[in-house]
Amino acid sequence: MSSKIKFVYNNNIIELENIDPNETLLNFIRNNLKKTGTKEGCAEGGCGACTVVLGTLKNNKILYQVVNSCIIFVPMIHGKQLIIVEDLESKKDLHPVQKAMIKHNGSQCGFCTPGFVMSLFSMYKNNNNYTEKIIKDSISGNLCRCTGYKPIINAGKELNNYFKPDKFEINKKIDIELIKKIQNEKKPIKINYNNKLYFSPLSIKELLLIIKNNPNAKLINGGTDLALTVTKSRKDLNSLIYLGNIKELNYIKENQNNIEIGSSTPLIEIEKFISKYYSDFSEILKRYGSYQIRNIATIGGNLGTASPIGDTLPILLSLNALIITQKNNISRKILIKDFFTGYRKTKLKKNEFIKAIIIPKNKSYIFRAYKISKRYDDDISSVCMGINLNLERNIIRNIIIAYGGMSEKPKRATNCEKYLNNKNFDKETIIKSQKELLKDFNPINDMRASSEYRKNIAKNLLLKFFFEIKKNKNIRIYD
Amino acid sequence: MIKNNIESLFTENLPHDSAQKHVNGKARYTDDILEPNNIFYAAIGWSKKSNAIIDKINLDDVIKSEGVIDIVTYKDIPGRNDVGPVFDGDPIFPKNKVEYFGQPIFAVLATTNELARKAVLKAKISYIEKKPIITIQEAHKIKSYIFKPKQIHRGSPNIALRDAKNYLRGNFSTGSQEHFYLEGQICMTIPQEDNDLIVYSSTQHPSETQQIISKMLKIKNSSIAVKVRRIGGGFGGKETQSFIFAAICTLLANKTKLPVKLKIDRDDDIIITGKRHDFFSEYEVGFNNNGQIKGLKINLYSRCGISADLSAAINDRALFHIDNAYYIPNILVNNYYCKTNTASNTAFRGFGGPQGMMVIENIIDNIARYLKKDPTTIRKNNFYKKNTNNITHYNMKIEDNIINEIFEELITSSRYINRNKQIRDFNDKNNLIKKGIAITPVKFGISFTKNYLNQAGSLVHIYNDGSVYLNHGGIEMGQGTLTKIAQIASNELGISINKIKISETNTSKVPNTSASAASSTTDLNGAAVLNAIEKIKNNINHYVRSKYKISIDKVKYRNNKVIYRNKIFNFNDLIMESYLNRVSLSSTGFYKTPKINFDDKNFEGRPFYYFAYGAAVSEVIIDTLTGENKLTQVDILHDAGNPINENIEIGQIEGGFIQGMGWLTFEEVKWSEKGNILTHSPSTYKIPASNDTPTKFNVKLFKGNNIEKVINRSKTTGEPPLMLSMSVFFAIKDAIASVGDYKIIPKINAPATPEEILSSINIIKKNL
Ligand SMILES: Cc1cc2nc3c(=O)[nH]c(=O)nc-3n(C[C@H](O)[C@H](O)[C@H](O)COP(=O)(O)OP(=O)(O)OC[C@H]3O[C@@H](n4cnc5c(N)ncnc54)[C@H](O)[C@@H]3O)c2cc1C
Ligand code: FES
Ligand code: FES
Repeated sequence: MSSKIKFVYNNNIIELENIDPNETLLNFIRNNLKKTGTKEGCAEGGCGACTVVLGTLKNNKILYQVVNSCIIFVPMIHGKQLIIVEDLESKKDLHPVQKAMIKHNGSQCGFCTPGFVMSLFSMYKNNNNYTEKIIKDSISGNLCRCTGYKPIINAGKELNNYFKPDKFEINKKIDIELIKKIQNEKKPIKINYNNKLYFSPLSIKELLLIIKNNPNAKLINGGTDLALTVTKSRKDLNSLIYLGNIKELNYIKENQNNIEIGSSTPLIEIEKFISKYYSDFSEILKRYGSYQIRNIATIGGNLGTASPIGDTLPILLSLNALIITQKNNISRKILIKDFFTGYRKTKLKKNEFIKAIIIPKNKSYIFRAYKISKRYDDDISSVCMGINLNLERNIIRNIIIAYGGMSEKPKRATNCEKYLNNKNFDKETIIKSQKELLKDFNPINDMRASSEYRKNIAKNLLLKFFFEIKKNKNIRIYD
Repeated sequence: MIKNNIESLFTENLPHDSAQKHVNGKARYTDDILEPNNIFYAAIGWSKKSNAIIDKINLDDVIKSEGVIDIVTYKDIPGRNDVGPVFDGDPIFPKNKVEYFGQPIFAVLATTNELARKAVLKAKISYIEKKPIITIQEAHKIKSYIFKPKQIHRGSPNIALRDAKNYLRGNFSTGSQEHFYLEGQICMTIPQEDNDLIVYSSTQHPSETQQIISKMLKIKNSSIAVKVRRIGGGFGGKETQSFIFAAICTLLANKTKLPVKLKIDRDDDIIITGKRHDFFSEYEVGFNNNGQIKGLKINLYSRCGISADLSAAINDRALFHIDNAYYIPNILVNNYYCKTNTASNTAFRGFGGPQGMMVIENIIDNIARYLKKDPTTIRKNNFYKKNTNNITHYNMKIEDNIINEIFEELITSSRYINRNKQIRDFNDKNNLIKKGIAITPVKFGISFTKNYLNQAGSLVHIYNDGSVYLNHGGIEMGQGTLTKIAQIASNELGISINKIKISETNTSKVPNTSASAASSTTDLNGAAVLNAIEKIKNNINHYVRSKYKISIDKVKYRNNKVIYRNKIFNFNDLIMESYLNRVSLSSTGFYKTPKINFDDKNFEGRPFYYFAYGAAVSEVIIDTLTGENKLTQVDILHDAGNPINENIEIGQIEGGFIQGMGWLTFEEVKWSEKGNILTHSPSTYKIPASNDTPTKFNVKLFKGNNIEKVINRSKTTGEPPLMLSMSVFFAIKDAIASVGDYKIIPKINAPATPEEILSSINIIKKNL
């Protein structure tokens, strides 16, 4: 095992020996690299001021992915290329993205600007055509309190007028070689920094061994949930096992009946893949956090939090997914409806981990999902709903209705389902079934929504679903 | 009509002076200034109760915590233990009672930021709790006020109410708002010889920072230099709320004689600092069949939080704008300053103006819905006129009224009438999704309402190589004031902007400055810079006249030349020549706003130098099953006079609009019953993001000059555009009204969150 973290920076490999595994990338950039262009606006992934780009090698190409440097720990960037705002300009010239921002008055106080520049840079590198929709989505994880976004959106459109090859295009070969050089070492990592441990195994086999020897270690995937323990609760994570480098956990495959997703697969990949089967699932994912979050947050992590407001969870419930877990050499299959046992509690035993999720294809079913939140972009749901219906000649043969935000855990509306099954799919039935929901749920009041509102939404979404299916078109205000 | 006879002095719409540094990361904010090697980091420990006596406080574990080197409490304050700007009431550290959740109690100094923040969590404090007062209603019930209630009054509202054809009563509230400047509160203090201090603070008000530190430490103002190059957003949240952090940071630096940085974590920032005042109002209005208001009585309550801070002036501004653009012949307002156990509410763009305007806009909207007329007509029927109905309720004659013109032009250019029809057709055909539209006006008074603040100073040097150093009291917080003032200087000297050095604001260079606030920064400081340049030019003229015996009237500074009637100099040559002939090339400048005077006691006079006007049309779409909503189109026509820099003004308008839209729609500050603020992070408090900006977002400047002698006959765009967003709220209300076929007046308060919208819809549905 190696105690060195290596990453590519400015066409060089940087090596760090036994670095503090709780050190955020943001603090590292500001305090160690002594570059202050990357800003701290919140230290919890919610503002984008700290956005940097990580170059990730995939199929011999570099993907330029934005992340929030404030909630990613330095060792997690092992084997990647780090790009920060100071790196964009070349000796002679600003980067096209920077020029476009100036031309369109994209900055006022300027504090958010480096983050926007990095998000636009990532968009610029990963797309060929910059529509208003692509631009808005690309910057939806960056907050600006001054401009109202319009000049920044205009800067994005301006990029359609620039010719491509930038500095990174020119240096791409070198960077790819350097990344490969690090990856080819194929060494798992173990860091010991003043007894703070960090492991990054490369295979399930190594993982099992590490777990065995460190039974109290915490598993970390994207860290978008866990890192806040350090940055907000100000607690140390003394022993971490990073799953992001285990190839056996990062995949999507399918057969005739099922889709199987490795637990360390980032949500961004699922968002792209799943749209052809469950387009609403993909739509929900598009509004899940931001690119910065979805690029690293994983499905395993979302399941691992078992949060009552985890957005994929009601969806997976409604799709009747199957969770595959492992402990030592024993693998289990748990039906998702049995998986959540209480507030942030699951059936997982100590040292058992989630390996994969199997989602049935069920083409004959009608599936819809809805996310209600105060803000469209990057907001936590007040209520999130997945619904999956098997209709035979207008008789409800089987319906699964699952909600997030309605209970202490993601949960199915079993009474409501029972009421609806084998009844006619008509408005009267749906309205009657709404009452059953009140048997299923008694949601809480909190800063996001009142109990009353949650109940109303839950009921109305059922009705909305009915109208959408009957009218055979989505009735939504967002396009 | 206002004559459009002055051509713009400014032909170039330069980008922000720091634009390049913003995009390449080289612009330095307080946290980016090179730190001294021996710097230490501070963190604040704050109250977990909103109303309590501190029973026992044990900081032993804090002191023992890793990396901690010192600690300060109220005992360490040698002088004034208060950061209140006008009145006392904001202790730096309280002695034995805490009055809001988040109130600072002590601070530590440690070797790293992280260790300091960890250490403060180890305090053991036990409290004897008292019942906190959290809401406006709770405070009013037991007459918990910051000041005695105030009454303003004109005409005979009671008689007018009695005699009017129609009568309505109701109540309305607008919510609080977190500033959410992207750069959080921060300060770095570096001790100097003679116990002097250099303080780098992210503040809108360096002079008062200096004065507060001076009183706290019992040292002279002259021993303290407060410096600010730029701040990462302020919006009023750093007008006074930055003081406590500068004070605590400097207290630690002064005690330990070490450089100290205090950087506030985002959650702590939201928890500790005050926000926009939320307002509640009860009204009775009498009006004729044209919807013209005859008599109006209002009880106006604001949540001030625990102390006075700027609440007096903020409530005054609400009173000044309770008319918005409407003539109200008979009016009576009782204003209550509710004292609650919450962080002391403070300045926020608009400074009470938006809250006052929303009250009257809602009344007008209700009148229209009551009369079943288009609110646009009722708005027009109530507008101030040019020659009659042109005296405000505080007895100021409005001389620059252009609201009628702006409204008419916008109604035409936005195709309001047509679109309104189409929307009604759409709503007839659609049950679940509804659309709404509204146009609202803005008339906003410009000047500090405290007269003495309407002054500014500047310092200009011309070096003998012809380069210029520019300094004044204005703070750059994104509004582009440094750029605009540099443009003014460049224009006045006829030299390129590259020769003008824009410098940090520094209390050692220009003293006794006012806050960069009240939209007045460029008006005041720009004029002070002009004054300094004029003095230097006089010195040069004096020399030229005696040396060359030529006339010095109509001297022009253009294109790097100085043009006298019969002699032309190169700018640089003339500067060098002046220097060699012992001409002073440096000067201070000063400006005070003319014409304004106000009698506080009788609430009458002329508090404003001029008014800025504007109007906006917003169109929305709402989902009647969920309350979700989306702003689909905005058309704005705004009055920036004859602008100095069009691009910068448009940026202010767009940004202000979106910020106001957030306030009125989904930005929602929530407290628990015990007074704990619940929305203290970006995951629980949502400001607008990219997809909230409408795809159709048309902003135009109204063509016209300021009739007052403001530079270039321009008008400020700092605050006024925020209030253009009122149109979004009333468009939502319009969409809701369609659910009841426009027969029932919707009951909805701001912010119009999806939840508020759905509940408003459900009330209508129940009454159908
Ligand atoms: C700005 C921001 C926005 C967000 N927006 C949303 C949103 O819109 N919707 C939403 O649902 N969530 C949201 N979240 C929450 C967070 O992104 C999710 O919970 C995410 O899915 C966590 O995934 P991760 O890979 O980052 O998990 P991690 O933080 O790495 O882990 C989360 C938990 O799961 C455990 N865990 C991880 N992998 C496994 C495994 N294989 N087996 C067993 N346990 C495991 C970890 O030990 C940890 O306890 C947001 C978070 C942030 C910071
Ligand atoms: S600092 Fe706000 S997202 Fe990282
Ligand atoms: S420019 Fe100030 S926050 Fe974006």
